[in-house]
Amino acid sequence: MRPVGFSTGAVALGSFSEGLKILAAKGVQSVELSALRFHELRPLVDALDHLDLSMFAYISFHAPSDFTADNESEVLMLLKRVAARGLSIVVHPDSIHNWSAWLDLGASVLLENMDKRKSTGRTCAELSKCFEQLPSARFCFDLGHARQVDPSLVEARRILEQFGSRMAQIHISEVSSGSTHERISWPAAVAFASLSKHIPRGIPVIVESVVHASQVTNEIERARSSLGEGEFPGVVGVLGAA
Amino acid sequence: MSRSSSVPSKALSRQVRGVDELRATLGVQWPAIKRAREAALRQRERLDEIIQPFLNTDTSFVVFGSLGRLEVTSGSDVDWSLLADGQADPRHFDIAAKVAEAIAEAKFKDPGQEATFGGLIFSHNLIHHIGGDNDDNSNTTRRLLLLLESAPVGQRDAYDRTVNSVLSRYVIEDFGLAHAGNRNNVPRFLHNDIVRYWRTMAVDFAYKRRARSGKGWALRTAKLRMSRKLIYVAGILMCYSCALDPEISVLKPEPNDPTIALRIVEHLKKFVDQTPLDIVAQIVGGFPELDDALRAVFCEYDRFIGILDDQQKREHLNKLAPEAVSGDATYGEIRQISDAFQEALLAIFIDNRGTQLAELTRTYGVF
Repeated sequence: MRPVGFSTGAVALGSFSEGLKILAAKGVQSVELSALRFHELRPLVDALDHLDLSMFAYISFHAPSDFTADNESEVLMLLKRVAARGLSIVVHPDSIHNWSAWLDLGASVLLENMDKRKSTGRTCAELSKCFEQLPSARFCFDLGHARQVDPSLVEARRILEQFGSRMAQIHISEVSSGSTHERISWPAAVAFASLSKHIPRGIPVIVESVVHASQVTNEIERARSSLGEGEFPGVVGVLGAA
Repeated sequence: MSRSSSVPSKALSRQVRGVDELRATLGVQWPAIKRAREAALRQRERLDEIIQPFLNTDTSFVVFGSLGRLEVTSGSDVDWSLLADGQADPRHFDIAAKVAEAIAEAKFKDPGQEATFGGLIFSHNLIHHIGGDNDDNSNTTRRLLLLLESAPVGQRDAYDRTVNSVLSRYVIEDFGLAHAGNRNNVPRFLHNDIVRYWRTMAVDFAYKRRARSGKGWALRTAKLRMSRKLIYVAGILMCYSCALDPEISVLKPEPNDPTIALRIVEHLKKFVDQTPLDIVAQIVGGFPELDDALRAVFCEYDRFIGILDDQQKREHLNKLAPEAVSGDATYGEIRQISDAFQEALLAIFIDNRGTQLAELTRTYGVF
């Protein structure tokens, strides 16, 4: 079974403690602590000292997606505390102002491929430039973003070929034309499943679909099906081949 | 290897990356082609400035025709479309109208009479209507010209997505490619559509002579025998390239793993991003034994571009009636150029010079 978990921000926007409570109650064992907005970063990093995360087998951290150049040093100082705990930190390439300042974080940084609204990090060529700046960084492959950028999945295939060896985490959700993270539909699952063979089983999968607490288990089943494990809830037949 | 011969056919043995490199390899100048490419690049730069404010990731400004092929001459018009790929948005129509207005203000020449270009086109029709009743003449023309002679100017996201999706339909839905062990990996579905489009152009040529009472016939004849034929040639070479490229020809697409077919799509997309002349230079230029014929192709094409760039001759051809062509010097020149062009193409594709091209033509080009 693939390790499939959830982002705290997807189940409880702006409240990591509520998100953790929901996920723990559902028995979810992989989690991404979300500080997607700048103002969420310091409280979450400070809370790491006393949060009980013992029920989670895999924990990662999502850095803010938008901050000013003036705030970058503060962001980095806080993220170094996260890295010191051995957590992987998912970073949006377009959020970085001064690339050289991030070098110290080394392999703790997981650069994520972006959605089509962004100016960089969307395609294989754009990601190559980002990894040139941070050669030790690893990769968080966002399946929803890749499908939104190119529904034919040509770019996704190219990204997998180029950066598969750096892959350390998967993000999964359906990404709407407005770039919001939605529940995984069957057509999206079929598309994702066609790539599942090329995603190693041990790579942690974080669901980013924005859902109500009651939908967490079902959405995890959808994610598993999207990666070739089990039927898509409500639809007969296994997708793809993991 | 040929089925009827035990002698292996010759594979690509030289790398030529495009027209400029071929020019250096063969030591030929082709001044008219060079001028036309430079003029096209200047026009694209101007257009980029004009249309930039109107585009986003859901829309691409796409040029076709001489501007798409980098063959702009003094009489060239601007064949363009605003390609929409994303959420349906009533404002797309307004954007297309604004773009048309901005282009007209910049004094670019209007697109052709059939109105295939100069407006809004939607990716959905191009992607979903391949074959069948909904694939009408305009849709076929737009889709094939998108693959054979188009280029995005400015923001290219919508363009790249659409081309990838169209190509992936041709490749992933090519049943034989994934199931029947197509030994050359030549995408037959795509190849057949390109052949169909070439024949459609030829049939439409006769239709237009009737519909327009012969007006513009001589100029259209010249284009059919040269630039239209060139895009057909580039199209079939693009398909043959799957058999000629050592990395692509060995792939074995599988029904349950589309990533291998997507590798072929990616390979084909690289050709869509090139001009027809660059494709011919690159692929045929890979066979030194075809240098004489290839030199002839480019020399004749250069003469053809030279005539189109001569305002007097172009205008003369545009006004020349079908019944007045006999003995006409300019038309005679066009006939002579296009006959020599045809002979050179026959030497490349049909004559037995032992290359894989002749073998592929025999396998795919007839039945």
